[in-house]
Amino acid sequence: MIELKDILIKAKDRLILDVPSLRFEKGKRYGIIGENGSGKTTLLRVLMGIVQPNAGSINGLTLDQKVGYLPQSPYAFSVSVLRNISMTLEDRQSPDGLALDALKKVGLGSLINSRGNTLSGGERQRLGLARVLAVPKEVLLLDEPTSATDIRGTDIVEDLLQEWFEKTKGLLIFTTHAPAQALRMADEVIFLEDGKVVETGSPQNLFNNPQEPKTRAFLSHWVI
Amino acid sequence: MELINSIFDLLFGSDPELRQIIAVTLRMSLFSTLISSLIGIPAGVLLGANEFRGKAFISRLVNTLLGLPPVVAGLLVLLLLSRSGPLGSLRLLYTVEAMVIAQVLLITPFITAMTANLVGISASSINETLVGVGIRGAKRLKYFLLDFRVPFLSIILAGFGRSIAEVGAVQMVGGNVQFKTRVMTTAIMMQTNMGRFDFAVALGITLLLISFLINSLVTSIQKAALDD
Repeated sequence: MIELKDILIKAKDRLILDVPSLRFEKGKRYGIIGENGSGKTTLLRVLMGIVQPNAGSINGLTLDQKVGYLPQSPYAFSVSVLRNISMTLEDRQSPDGLALDALKKVGLGSLINSRGNTLSGGERQRLGLARVLAVPKEVLLLDEPTSATDIRGTDIVEDLLQEWFEKTKGLLIFTTHAPAQALRMADEVIFLEDGKVVETGSPQNLFNNPQEPKTRAFLSHWVI
Repeated sequence: MELINSIFDLLFGSDPELRQIIAVTLRMSLFSTLISSLIGIPAGVLLGANEFRGKAFISRLVNTLLGLPPVVAGLLVLLLLSRSGPLGSLRLLYTVEAMVIAQVLLITPFITAMTANLVGISASSINETLVGVGIRGAKRLKYFLLDFRVPFLSIILAGFGRSIAEVGAVQMVGGNVQFKTRVMTTAIMMQTNMGRFDFAVALGITLLLISFLINSLVTSIQKAALDD
């Protein structure tokens, strides 16, 4: 279990994140929803130790190779797609084999010899996911993993994450600005606005019967 | 016409002084570029790829050193290496080594600043991506070096261009000693002052030819690296 306590992040006078208490339990999938600038990405960055909060603590998360994080715009190095992954696995046996397997799973098996920096945004996201999943993970933190993918790419990613979750029963935390994706993929939804958790609950409850006016206002923009 | 003949005689003849000047110039420029790159590229990556307290100050300092006048760099090295200076016992003044030291002082900030600016553009994206697969701290360096290998070559080449074209600092610490520390730029200046314009022009053309050949070589290496 990962527990955030009294996390506070401010930039000058602007509140970026204010989370008094939040828990993530192993064996569950969490979808963090909210508008742009609501604090979704910052929350993941705090969990990954990329952003240090001004106050508060995170318990239960050891950042090692079993925790995978996919930024919204993963970087594609100017080497082949295969090497983009295998070069991060040099401490493993058969890095090329692991990389190839991972690429096939995200549907990029035919692009292994292309240069990483020539890929489209959606292909980069799938490359990034393959890089993260090339070795077993217990915790996945994904920042809008399908924001640049097309419908087919989104299906591939969602199916792969479903498969990963069924196999590992690990902890999946992902952000999305599309509530419908949270409905498909999450066991619990967290709605953020202006850096604060407004409401949490199962997707069915939260989307069918939102308690907070802010949640209702956000969901009114979407057809779910 | 006579001038052109003189130039061709010098370029394709067997003037021992010209050969010596070319050799010293290449030795000085290659060594100073190599040392500056070995210092400047890792320093630039560290500066561009990391956020730390004092980064803005160090960046300003490096950028300020970009404007260091060559004669000031020469003066500093001259004072350091003169007999009464702190490193006088090394007896390096008026040697190629002294010229290399002065040039390293001039070129390293240039390579560091260029590298930091280049890397800084993509640093946060690369860092986040590497953190996502458990690669942190100093282990990141090799990924930056690998990813920017082609533009780094351009920076090194620009550093070499600065080195081979520099005159003020090498004149001060090298002394333009014939068959010892005379390089193309100092020789061009001297020959011009003496009114030997044919020799000066020949040296100038040779300087450009060398730059062109090295540019072509680096471009081929870049192309091969891109095709890799």
